[in-house]
Amino acid sequence: MKIVKLKKDNLFPFLEAIKGDAELWAPVKKDDAKHTFQPVDDFSQIDLDYTRTILPPRKILLPAKFNMYQASKSEFTSDFSHISKKIIFGIHPCDIHAFLTMDKFYSYEIEDPYWLEARKNLVLLGHSCWPDENCMCKSTNTHVVEEGYDLFFTDLEDTYVVWIGSSRGDDLIREKPELFEEDLTDTDIQKFIQRRENRDKAFTTEINFAAMPDLMELKYNDALWEKLGDACLACGSCTNVCPTCNCYNVEDRPVLGKDFSNIQRCWDACTLENYSGVAGGENFREKRADRLKLWYTHKLQSYISKYGKPACVGCGRCVATCPVDINVKTVAQSLDGNEVDSFWDRLSKEVTK
Amino acid sequence: MSKNNDKKLKIGIYELTGCAGDGLLILDCEMELVDIFQAADIQSFLMAKSDNIDGELDIALVEGSVSTEREIEELKDIRKRAQVVVAFGLCATHGGIQARFSEEEWQKNLKEVYGDIEMSHTKAVHSKPIDEYIDVDLYLPGCPVSKDQFLNFLVRALGGSPPEVYPNPVCVTCKYNENDCLLLKGIPCLGPLTADGCGAICPNHNVPCYGCWGPAEGANFTSEFYLLQEKGFDMEAIKKRMANYSGTKLQEFFEKFKKESQ
Ligand code: SF4
Ligand code: SF4
Ligand code: SF4
Ligand code: SF4
Repeated sequence: MKIVKLKKDNLFPFLEAIKGDAELWAPVKKDDAKHTFQPVDDFSQIDLDYTRTILPPRKILLPAKFNMYQASKSEFTSDFSHISKKIIFGIHPCDIHAFLTMDKFYSYEIEDPYWLEARKNLVLLGHSCWPDENCMCKSTNTHVVEEGYDLFFTDLEDTYVVWIGSSRGDDLIREKPELFEEDLTDTDIQKFIQRRENRDKAFTTEINFAAMPDLMELKYNDALWEKLGDACLACGSCTNVCPTCNCYNVEDRPVLGKDFSNIQRCWDACTLENYSGVAGGENFREKRADRLKLWYTHKLQSYISKYGKPACVGCGRCVATCPVDINVKTVAQSLDGNEVDSFWDRLSKEVTK
Repeated sequence: MSKNNDKKLKIGIYELTGCAGDGLLILDCEMELVDIFQAADIQSFLMAKSDNIDGELDIALVEGSVSTEREIEELKDIRKRAQVVVAFGLCATHGGIQARFSEEEWQKNLKEVYGDIEMSHTKAVHSKPIDEYIDVDLYLPGCPVSKDQFLNFLVRALGGSPPEVYPNPVCVTCKYNENDCLLLKGIPCLGPLTADGCGAICPNHNVPCYGCWGPAEGANFTSEFYLLQEKGFDMEAIKKRMANYSGTKLQEFFEKFKKESQ
């Protein structure tokens, strides 16, 4: 692993030099305090002072809706037209870990060509971050990255310490070697270590993820699930914002006046009522409580047995998104035997009083 | 029109009581209009043509709620002539804004507006969605229905397939669009309760959803009711907001809720 240094003033010239004909996506401030990943031409729009974006960066690889095929009576043609060379700049460790989780998922037994193709065309430039009260990545051990990025920028006030994580990352540096410094001073190293220590201490939320598989098993029929089901608005938001959710639906979209259909792939969410609906009007998980159990089994239990780590990467998006406080934080804390201050808990008291 | 019209799907488009926005939406499909009239045999469409025929139909699209005795007759006649009847737009599917009142309130309103005037050509009745009077095969909600929904319905119907309805609440598209959630900010957004299909236009412009596509399947009214109460809205204000576009379909929920909350 090689480490170099980049003066902050040299960041935009470097991005300019490597962009070429690729689309560069970076965090941009929307209204109020929320950020989203957007394609940027004008780098001054980039705002790196963010904790989490509303949607995770998987939207850049697999958009909410895209055409997979064009199908007529006699043939079908794959459509990869939404895929092009892309650079993501400013992605945080949790989201890089989510990409690694998706890589495994999308190549496990059956390969997903749309993810894999988009991934081949992607350069990942990570960036350091600072946790807020909803960040749980230290508990999921996804707060630092050892792999999965091409370059990783750690912010040390006026300079970046840049870790090179791949040979492609090395090539990128070579595009403009004069912008970088090879030698880190003792002060730089000291600053880097100090930052890491301070950041570790800044995490205020700790979740016992190791205990979750057992607790999920033991509390599968706990009254908790009914309480959650009573409050859940079945809006699907927790699922849509989660960086490791990957379900999709496929729709036939015939085209007026033409003899072919577009076969469209769009995100689906297991927390939505229609998700478990099947032909004939039956629904396997009509109850919201059952759907939430499925989601939390996925996040807290089943991935661990299959891939050795939870599907949750601790990004805190579900915490920042659910209008009724159902999220990994409150659910895990409650499974762990704690009373949690949440709308769903208050509602259960309101309804039964 | 070409001579092989008899092979084409015969479609009739009818308007009962409403703003005629759904019919207008069809006319607004300017890029597709020629294709539509070429692909289907539009037998009746008062807003678009004058040579209308009231005969046998494959599909009848009925817009508007039933608000007069004459409309009841007209609707029953359409049912007799059509293989498939589609409730087209929120007034037909749910009754629309005009159906948000209870029978009592409606009587009072009628009296207030029309006094004791004798109506000569027809008699007003309490506004209802069309399935209160006839069997309805398909529902396309929306105020108005969206172009995407209508065109997708039409091409699928031409191919003999049922429509793909929007099964999810507005929040789904709202999240795709990465809007900062209004409900989280204490603004009474009805997105979680409302059927998607509009593209989340209101939250896209920082305006809370008013529910104009009608209730989403499986919507959790009770939870959002308490949530809004907790955020400081009073019961009457929430009820009014929720009832606006859900027509008669929500009366049952409110009856139950009234009893529970007493
Ligand atoms: S479950 Fe919640 S915290 Fe975990 S990765 Fe998904 S959105 Fe982030
Ligand atoms: S848990 Fe929350 S965010 Fe998820 S579907 Fe239910 S109400 Fe929506
Ligand atoms: S703004 Fe409204 S529609 Fe959008 S996510 Fe929030 S509650 Fe749902
Ligand atoms: S009120 Fe709701 S359903 Fe109607 S257009 Fe606005 S967001 Fe869409």
